[in-house]
Amino acid sequence: MRALEAPAAAAAAAPAIAIAIDGLEADRGDRPVLRGLKLSVAAGEVYALLGANGAGKSTTLAALLGFLAPRAGSLAVCGRSPQAELNAVRRIVAYLPENVALYEHLSAVENVRYFLDLAGERRGADEIDAALAEVRLAADAARQRVGTYSKGMRQKTAIALALLRRAPVLLLDEPTTGLDPGATREFHRLLDALRGRGVAILMVTHDLLGAAELADRIGLLAGGRLTHEWCAAPGPARFDLAALHRGFAESTA
Amino acid sequence: MTASGMTEAAGVAPPRHRPGALGDWRREAALWLRSTSAVASVALLAALATVAVALGLGEVARQHAAIERVLDLQASEEAAIAGFAEDAGSAAYYTAHATWDSPSPLAFAALGQRDAAPWVLRVRALALEGQLYESDAQNPELALPGRFDLAFVLVYLAPLVLVALLHDLKSAEREAGRLGLLLSMPGATRRLWVARAGVRAIAVLLALAVPFGFGAALAGAGLLETLGGLGVMVGTVAFWTLLAVLIALRGRRSAVNAAILCAAWFALVLVGPAAGHLAVNAAVPIPSGAELARENREAVHGAWDRPRAETMARFVSSHPEWAPYAAIDRPFHWKWYFAFQQLGDEHVAERSRAYRDGIERRERLAGAIGWVLPPIGLQRALHRLARTDVAAQLEYQERIRAFHAELRAFYWPYVFREQPFGPADFARTPRFASVR
Amino acid sequence: MRRALVVAGGELRLLLRSRLAAIGLGALLALSAVAAWTSSAHVAREHATRAAHQAAVDRLFDDQPARHPHRVVHYGTYAHRPLGPLAAFDPGVDPYTGTTLYLEGHRQNVAAFGAARESSGLLRFGQLTPAFVLQTLAPLLLVFLGYASVARERESGGLRQLYSHGARAVDVLAGKALALGAVALAVALPAGIALVAAAASVPAEVPAALAVAAGHLLYLAAWVLAIAAISAFAGTARTALVALVAAWTVAVVVLPRVAAEYALRAEPLPSRVETDLRLQAELRELGDSHDANDPFFAEFRRRTLERYGVERIEDLPVNFRGLVSAEGETLTSRLFVEYAERLAAIQRAQRARVDAFAWATPALAVRRASMTAAGSDLENHLRFLAQAEAYRYDLIQRLNRLHADGVAYADDVQRSRDAAAERRTRVVASHWQQLPDFRFEPASPRERLAAARPALLALGGWVAALIGVLALAARRLERTA
Repeated sequence: MRALEAPAAAAAAAPAIAIAIDGLEADRGDRPVLRGLKLSVAAGEVYALLGANGAGKSTTLAALLGFLAPRAGSLAVCGRSPQAELNAVRRIVAYLPENVALYEHLSAVENVRYFLDLAGERRGADEIDAALAEVRLAADAARQRVGTYSKGMRQKTAIALALLRRAPVLLLDEPTTGLDPGATREFHRLLDALRGRGVAILMVTHDLLGAAELADRIGLLAGGRLTHEWCAAPGPARFDLAALHRGFAESTA
Repeated sequence: MTASGMTEAAGVAPPRHRPGALGDWRREAALWLRSTSAVASVALLAALATVAVALGLGEVARQHAAIERVLDLQASEEAAIAGFAEDAGSAAYYTAHATWDSPSPLAFAALGQRDAAPWVLRVRALALEGQLYESDAQNPELALPGRFDLAFVLVYLAPLVLVALLHDLKSAEREAGRLGLLLSMPGATRRLWVARAGVRAIAVLLALAVPFGFGAALAGAGLLETLGGLGVMVGTVAFWTLLAVLIALRGRRSAVNAAILCAAWFALVLVGPAAGHLAVNAAVPIPSGAELARENREAVHGAWDRPRAETMARFVSSHPEWAPYAAIDRPFHWKWYFAFQQLGDEHVAERSRAYRDGIERRERLAGAIGWVLPPIGLQRALHRLARTDVAAQLEYQERIRAFHAELRAFYWPYVFREQPFGPADFARTPRFASVR
Repeated sequence: MRRALVVAGGELRLLLRSRLAAIGLGALLALSAVAAWTSSAHVAREHATRAAHQAAVDRLFDDQPARHPHRVVHYGTYAHRPLGPLAAFDPGVDPYTGTTLYLEGHRQNVAAFGAARESSGLLRFGQLTPAFVLQTLAPLLLVFLGYASVARERESGGLRQLYSHGARAVDVLAGKALALGAVALAVALPAGIALVAAAASVPAEVPAALAVAAGHLLYLAAWVLAIAAISAFAGTARTALVALVAAWTVAVVVLPRVAAEYALRAEPLPSRVETDLRLQAELRELGDSHDANDPFFAEFRRRTLERYGVERIEDLPVNFRGLVSAEGETLTSRLFVEYAERLAAIQRAQRARVDAFAWATPALAVRRASMTAAGSDLENHLRFLAQAEAYRYDLIQRLNRLHADGVAYADDVQRSRDAAAERRTRVVASHWQQLPDFRFEPASPRERLAAARPALLALGGWVAALIGVLALAARRLERTA
């Protein structure tokens, strides 16, 4: 196994560590899934977490959201532990599940309003319209029942919600699965904009090419820990795709 | 400020407003009200409750009218008797005095035993035991299924609506794929589920309480008993809500939750009471009513075959105040006649008390079962408030007994002192209305 | 058919392996057994008690000392309504009717002492009898066991798999219904044993018992078909469960009450006291036997004197007081019968209103078929009342004849004042034994079968209609797999 290359330069510079995971061990039922995971994401960074089915990607997100209690290790989101300060962590984390499901009998605007109210955030109608415009959800569509939406439109609604929440940390669970190429490009544009505003983004994905296009770092999860980690190089060819494929093949073998 | 303001330094929570518990409830109410099927089921329950209240009020009005008709007819009957009764003895012998048990103000909500036990009964100043247990000539096949009153809606239908509304409280979110997003939100704590369940429970409660409140106002019920009735409704809704939430938050599938809750309803409302009835009647045997009536008849009619003096002596020993007037000089005298009627009742007094106590003990035991089966206990409480339970039926019998005692106390002085008895005296016979 | 059996086998295996289903089925079987056992024990005890009561009052009547016949008119006797042989299966209205009727002169009493007034309020939630288990509880258990039978296959994609093996939707639905039907038969078994046991003691009752059994089997078949159909129509298992529980609630709990409320209002029945008072008023119109100058009785006296060709009552060869009593009894009894028939007619009209709802819910149809065939319905009670009244009238008139023929008029008028005359008015005790005892003749099994036929037809109609619905469901399922 290759030693993890700590982003020494990044650690020394200004961006604060938004997500810090160290020695995380967690089980799903009786099955141990994570065995000593160490990972960190800085503010303004997009981190793509890859791995085979059942490698523990979603479990990592669940632990960060406080949905499950780890057996060992430490977790911190902006310095707060999801175990000790669950609601404080939820307040600074926005989460997009794999299949965004909303209240089908409400419109996008109403859904956004509902969840904002649940989160204890108050936003004006103009702010909501602005967010929906930013994710390019047409104004008339935003007032139709979500039951009539495509998957991409639902995801846009959820992103708009994340924008409005102004959370400094964004967790994404396989966000581009099932999206057509145009919708995926659109989605990457939005993530890029968020990164520009200093949001820390942890994205769990199977989409190796998409990750290579967008991420600042890519981690490969296998056997319950990180087996590889790559940093983006400056210039158009950000990652060595062949190396990524090789690593992926090795880890799933 | 626009949506692009996501620039807070990591680690600093963005500013937020904390919606109080009230805010939670308002938000969840708004969300729930958008669900047509849920609102429709509560509207249906409200409609059924309204129909039940209307039917109950109609039935109560019918009973009041029937009592009025009886009292009108009674007046002309008494006038006819006054025409031919030549002495106190024959007046007492021929007059069947009316007693009635007017429905209480809350009877509309729980008609209870009033279709199985009579609420008008006429008694003569003769042996009472042979008169007290008469039933009314109502159609037994209509009593069999029970009444469509608010108590029925409360105990049978409201729980099913609550089960329908609450069984998928959490599982619906999971099955729709929303649970992750929902739980990732700050504020998605226990308070969220409390508010969601609370909104539905309150909707169900309103569906019951509003028609009940209107009914109680129309019926002229007192504040305290109306509050009591509302308390029963709150209790029933709270019980089923708690049970449903307890099951719904345990994480099973919606269909399994629904099946478990329906099974609980099945056990608590259908099987439990039926088994309880068997147990109660087995645990508390009561003396045979047929035997009681027969013994009473034997004691009364046997007097014709016994020496008159013996009968009078026995009467005087338990009613010494009439000793100076107990002598009779011919085979038939009203003194002797009323004496043996009284002795007939005294002969079976103990058996009669045992019969009554047995029914009362059965009813008390059923009350204990109400603690094991809370919906049943609450339904019984409503019947108690409405005074339509078995206990109320026994109380009516006690009032008849008291009235019968008044009748005897009225007639006996005329009979034993052999005082003349004219229409003016007849007009002064006791009225049941004064018996409390 | 072979494919349907394969599907049925698979469904049954699944049911038997499910812990929840096994618990539910076991609980209902236990409940059914308890119901059968306690109900038959209760009925046996009640039967013996009532027979003992009847024997006791018959003996008391026969053992009376020498008495004035009019004393015996007032002494009267009791009629105890016996339970039908199938009451252990379905006691019907028995708890809601008085079982003891006091028969005396000049009065028509109502039956007193019924279980509904001697029990706690729990009785009103239903009695644990085999009929209650089959009519009320069993359908709900079948709903729980069967709601997912088809919906589950559709949700899991099992349906497509079945189709790919050559099964058609009809096979699937028939198979699921067969499996559920097998469960229904198992559920009905303890009640069936109770029915056989009840009928075994009276061979003549076998046809009636068969009608009761047929009614319940048709009823359960209707539920099985409805469950399979709704499970097929519903998009998801949960929708099927909600729809079926709602259907059960409406059919078994709500509609019978609605029907009763409707009948009560459509055909109002006056209270007994009101009827009694009206009857008394009408009697006063007809004639007042207390008034010597009453035109009716004055006319009767004139006719009697003329018939015997005498001038004075004292010269009559018979006791005029006995004749007056007999005449009075004829008069009152005619009114009693008239009023009783009027009340009975209203109650029958109420029943007809309820029976019309048998086309809205099979629960009312099966109740009617069961109670009628078992002889525990309203009709049986009305029959008892009518027979008791006929017996009462006959008994009282025999006593009045004895009064007219066996008691001297001169003694009779003196008996209130003269002890010796009073003694002479007593008729020897041997007369009482010669008077007939009351014996209730219930409707014959053949009559009851005829009365139950419309309800059985309604149940057959339900089954036929639901087979049609199931076929419709199969057509739809074929397309939407």
